Amino acid sequence: MSMVPKRIMKEVERLTKDPVPGISAEPQEGNIRYFSVLMDGPDSSPYEGGHFRLELFLPEEYPMSPPKVRFLTKMYHPNIDKLGRICLDILKDKWSPALQIRTVLLSIQALLSAPNPDDPLANDVAEHWKSDEKAAIQTAREWTQKHAK
Amino acid sequence: MEDLGSDSGVQSQPDKGKGTADDEDGATQDYGDTYDFDDDDEFFGMDDSGFEPVVSSRDQRKPWEVEYHVHDAHGLHDKQEAMINRLVPVLSVSKDITTILLRNSQWKEESLVERYLSDPDKTIRDAGMFPNAPAPELKTGNEDFTCEICYCDGPEEVYLGLGCGHAFCTDCYVTYLTGKVLEGMSWRIRCPGAKCKALVGEQAARLLLANEPKILERYEDNLTRSFVNDLDSFTWCPAPNCEYGIECHVPKSAWATIVPTVHCRCGKAFCFGCNMDDHMPAPCFLVEKWLQKCKDDSETSNWLKANTKECTKCKATIEKNGGCNHMTCRKCAHEFCWVCMGPWTEHQQAYYQCNRYNEDSSKNARDSISKSRALLERYLHYYSRFSNHERSAKLARRLLTTTETNMEQMQRNSSMSWIEVQFLSAAVDMLSACRATLKWSYVLAYYMESDNQKLIFENNQSDLEMATETLNELVENPVHERTIEEAKRLIIDKTQYVKTRWETLLRDTAQGLQENRWKFQD
Ligand SMILES: [Zn+2]
Ligand SMILES: [Zn+2]
Ligand SMILES: [Zn+2]
Ligand SMILES: [Zn+2]
Ligand SMILES: [Zn+2]
Ligand SMILES: [Zn+2]
Repeated sequence: MSMVPKRIMKEVERLTKDPVPGISAEPQEGNIRYFSVLMDGPDSSPYEGGHFRLELFLPEEYPMSPPKVRFLTKMYHPNIDKLGRICLDILKDKWSPALQIRTVLLSIQALLSAPNPDDPLANDVAEHWKSDEKAAIQTAREWTQKHAK
Repeated sequence: MEDLGSDSGVQSQPDKGKGTADDEDGATQDYGDTYDFDDDDEFFGMDDSGFEPVVSSRDQRKPWEVEYHVHDAHGLHDKQEAMINRLVPVLSVSKDITTILLRNSQWKEESLVERYLSDPDKTIRDAGMFPNAPAPELKTGNEDFTCEICYCDGPEEVYLGLGCGHAFCTDCYVTYLTGKVLEGMSWRIRCPGAKCKALVGEQAARLLLANEPKILERYEDNLTRSFVNDLDSFTWCPAPNCEYGIECHVPKSAWATIVPTVHCRCGKAFCFGCNMDDHMPAPCFLVEKWLQKCKDDSETSNWLKANTKECTKCKATIEKNGGCNHMTCRKCAHEFCWVCMGPWTEHQQAYYQCNRYNEDSSKNARDSISKSRALLERYLHYYSRFSNHERSAKLARRLLTTTETNMEQMQRNSSMSWIEVQFLSAAVDMLSACRATLKWSYVLAYYMESDNQKLIFENNQSDLEMATETLNELVENPVHERTIEEAKRLIIDKTQYVKTRWETLLRDTAQGLQENRWKFQD
């Protein structure tokens, strides 16, 4: 296996020593670039009480390229599609090599608290959100109960 | 006869591309290479106001020719430098900042200066730079330095910081810049800091990439690319693999009355306005309209053209068989022209009269068929001539190959030297140019409203068309029942005559467009 950059070692060290509240991220045994993530749904959001599984992968070019992150738990969210892919600017063109795994996970958590149906990835969910927000939030709650317990 | 070599190089001669005479005189040079805007102080105002499109006392520029300049990579680089250097003392800030300000404002100098003078600091900050930041430099020996990208730290690290306060080690910076440069970016590359809007700037980039000559070269290329793309008065030559940039100050507002044809040093003749192949004498907006129409109508018209014609007299359905336009109705024996539907009797002496689509007799004949059908027929009339010349232009290009064989043969069969047989390729060049002009002349004619002015235009068109066909025939079969010397004299005379007709048409349309001599319809 190729040498692991100092940067990744340091990030892993800090993530273990000083974890983000409500988020755990652990590198897989034998592959320090692949992380299993467990994220608590933020309080007073439709995802409250849920525990969501994600996978996070650091490509060879990291940190010049952003990490690849995907939800494994089914989500009802306008910026997350059926395959768990996430529409978030810092994971695309707004990525900066000075951002970290920690900041990425925090941004994803913030996205759960503040869905943005105007920049949708899942169009049907976004439409639902815009036409009847209450009902959409209710569906998101039900999905959380059903899939993220 | 010895004048032939230079004749092929006079500026109104069509583009020849690979001709050597082209580089010594001719269009490319007269408003291109030798005339330089750089040291002309009035030049910057020209885009907005001082532009004089056609009327010029300089040299022998023809009424249909516009002023332009062909730049290679060095020329484009110098052009940028000149624009930057003249603005540095005006703004009295660093060259680095001036450069970014100019690029950020798409090189619109006047509005930039205005904005800058009303609030210098804000203008600089809005562009992603910092008013009083020191010039970028590589630093080392800082105990407190940590690179936020690779987490290296300590006094031995070499790093660079920008006015925003973010600093990164040179290794990370180089990797970061390399990635962005390979994506095609240049001056828009931002500080790697999270959500930071500061620009890296050219001075810092050159400092960081000093040991990466290939990447630095790409970076400079990208800068030039964005320069040409951002300026309305510049465009790239559209020929594949051609790297020349063309500068032309005919403003967009004038493209309705001037066809800004430019000739690249690589031989490509194209329209500066729409980047299409030279489409004189039709202005850009008619070209665009026409091509859209052809796209929309191609199915209907093809069907109609292929299937349905009826005799203008007895309305019997008539099939066109063979290529001849001379139709004879099987039922009533009426003879008429397939193109204009007019009686054939008027076509016998002069086939080309068919370009007068509005002859009364043709008109009356067409009145008897439905109006929408007539509109389509009208379109088809122009379209068939348009595409005819397009096809012939392609054939003319192929003719060049046979011409070269002919030229070799002539050399063998006569005492003529290679130079002395150049008249043949000159004739073919002339033919190509005429085909292109004739082709687009039918687009112009299609949109012209019928009046006396149109008639004059159509006379010129008809003259050029006939002369072109005659020359075409001669070139295809030069020594048919003639001695080589006779053929040569004949072709030279005809080429000269065709050129006169060609220039007459171009002059007349260029002036007519300027004077709004014609009314255009939809
Ligand atoms: Zn670094
Ligand atoms: Zn910064
Ligand atoms: Zn070119
Ligand atoms: Zn054009
Ligand atoms: Zn008939
Ligand atoms: Zn006719």
